[in-house]
Amino acid sequence: MNYLEYLPIFVFIIIALGLSTGFALLSSFVGPNKPDKEKLSAYECGFPPFDDARGRFDVRFYLVAILFIIFDLEVAFLFPWAISLSSTGLAGYISMMLFLFILTVGFIYEWKKGALEWE
Amino acid sequence: MILFFFLFSAVTVLSSIAVISSRNPVHSVFFLILAFVNSAGIFVLAGAEFLAMILLIVYVGAVAVLFLFVVMMLNVGVDKIKTQTRKYMLSGFLVAIILLFELIFSFANLDIIIQKPENNLEKNTNTHALGNVLYTDYFLPFQVSGCILLVAMLGAIILTLRKREGVLRQNISEQVSRTKEDSIKIVKIGKKL
Amino acid sequence: MQLDPNYFTILSAILFSIGILGIFLNRRSIIIILMSIEILLLSVNINLVAFSSFHGNLVGQIFTMFVLTVAAAEAAIGLAIIVIFFRNRGSIKVEDAEQLKG
Repeated sequence: MNYLEYLPIFVFIIIALGLSTGFALLSSFVGPNKPDKEKLSAYECGFPPFDDARGRFDVRFYLVAILFIIFDLEVAFLFPWAISLSSTGLAGYISMMLFLFILTVGFIYEWKKGALEWE
Repeated sequence: MILFFFLFSAVTVLSSIAVISSRNPVHSVFFLILAFVNSAGIFVLAGAEFLAMILLIVYVGAVAVLFLFVVMMLNVGVDKIKTQTRKYMLSGFLVAIILLFELIFSFANLDIIIQKPENNLEKNTNTHALGNVLYTDYFLPFQVSGCILLVAMLGAIILTLRKREGVLRQNISEQVSRTKEDSIKIVKIGKKL
Repeated sequence: MQLDPNYFTILSAILFSIGILGIFLNRRSIIIILMSIEILLLSVNINLVAFSSFHGNLVGQIFTMFVLTVAAAEAAIGLAIIVIFFRNRGSIKVEDAEQLKG
């Protein structure tokens, strides 16, 4: 195995780490920092803030995220299939079609149930 | 290379300690992401390149984001350490340390025979070699994992989907199939009312 | 491959113990327990991948793939249960989950 293929990723990570820590450190050293009570308080149109900034999300976002995980895994199974289809032949094709059929049943169910609708 | 292994494993272990000990659940999720990224590095060092990328896509891209989402959604605040935690501290450490020693002891007595990789493992890429066996030799587990995904999808929908009453919803088929006859009523108005 | 297989096994043993410890220590939220389960599965995956690569046998990597699938499904269902638990009880503390009957 050739680890030299990972050299660009490594260089990229090093540069990204250096740049981000560099900017964060530079702004904390160079920038003026004179906090007072009014500056540090949360600003919301002149009022004190009404409630917590981390308000609750709707459950529908969560449902979309779960369905994303399922289809993400489906795609993860599709990658090696696409590469090795020339050597697995018809058996691999049928096996993947059965897999896709099972997941399509779920997809039709969620479509009919209205899980993808927004109201 | 051994340097990279120690770097990755040290960061993985430290960040998973941070996952279980940090007070803010959002910080735990971020440390979980760090642990997953570094173990993807360990997978690359072990020669499983495809699985490393899948770990990044599935865990960092989807599962950790889902965790973050739930932590944000439930608005779990920072908790102070309670006396409840102290009560289980001793037994927890006891069990974990005994387990660690047992595992290391049993692994140390294991003779791991390092074999030369099979020739098709080196000739093709890792992804190609995986695909060659995954869909044919492991047909049944593959379909079972499809069924597990189906069950997860159905379960998530049944558990969390809740139709709210009184919300106006667009019904496209009804909208399209309306005709002039059933939507317009022509009323003759007499001269004198 | 100049890495010793024992390094991988010891790393996965340490991660497994940390995951078990996490389940014991966290009495405050179920989410941390789910994260500890993810750490447990990760350590198992590291072991599978290491043995697969040192034995020159792909079975370990294929089963890592299936473990990933099961872990993602488990996280999805577990978090869905947490969401509706929070909706019914208004908290996700472990000690509030004493009445999970039927």
